[in-house]
Amino acid sequence: MITALLLVHGILAVVLLGAITHQAFAASATRPGAGRSSFIAKFRNTDAASYSKVVVALFVAIIFLGSVLYPSYRLVVRPLLQAQDLRAANGSFEIKEHFSALALLLLPAYWATWRQPLTPEYASARVGLTWILASMVWWNFIIGQLLVSIKGLFL
Amino acid sequence: MMFSLFACVTYTLAYYFDWSLFQYALAENRFYFFVQDSGSGPPILWYGWLATAVLGGAAGAVIVPPRLSAKLPGDLVWLLPLAVIVAALIYEKRWFV
Repeated sequence: MITALLLVHGILAVVLLGAITHQAFAASATRPGAGRSSFIAKFRNTDAASYSKVVVALFVAIIFLGSVLYPSYRLVVRPLLQAQDLRAANGSFEIKEHFSALALLLLPAYWATWRQPLTPEYASARVGLTWILASMVWWNFIIGQLLVSIKGLFL
Repeated sequence: MMFSLFACVTYTLAYYFDWSLFQYALAENRFYFFVQDSGSGPPILWYGWLATAVLGGAAGAVIVPPRLSAKLPGDLVWLLPLAVIVAALIYEKRWFV
């Protein structure tokens, strides 16, 4: 059961990673539609606002699954990290914990800045919050994947 | 908007000062109100910190009048979260030294 939940958690995280990275690049495009021929321009030339509902739903689902899985981490993985004195790995997960909580708490603000019609006074907040959330998702994803594979990689 | 800003700050204070609304004793599979010594290994405080932050955020959203929150500078909405991220990194640097 835990393995199945971990797989679903990971798959949803991949989808969120793609969605929020795409949205962050599109949100910070200074001239939408300019230079449409390049891959980067095409990647950025998307309707950033259309991602917000999916991003919020994915965040809530992933953090809920993460909080269900968390006791297993504390029972199985963390004692292993402590026994092997892998302090950096332990600390990286502590940061992942904080990022998950802060991301969840920031979702109402993120939602408000992306609410239609988009308000110009929240333009910087929209871009800033989206990049902050995207950075947290990248950190959490990379650390999560490294910790899942830590036995094969480092022990 | 105000909920998120107050909740982020409350969460940061919660883990700095162990203001956990409840704790989960892993070995006993039980929840206890506030932080206390359950005597059965290290408890999980993260759920409690999150609950404390939700309370703080809700209180902030209720207390701050809408006319003040409407005047909130757009940049503060992302600068404050950035500050709490830096605070988290500073707090956790103990693992990397």
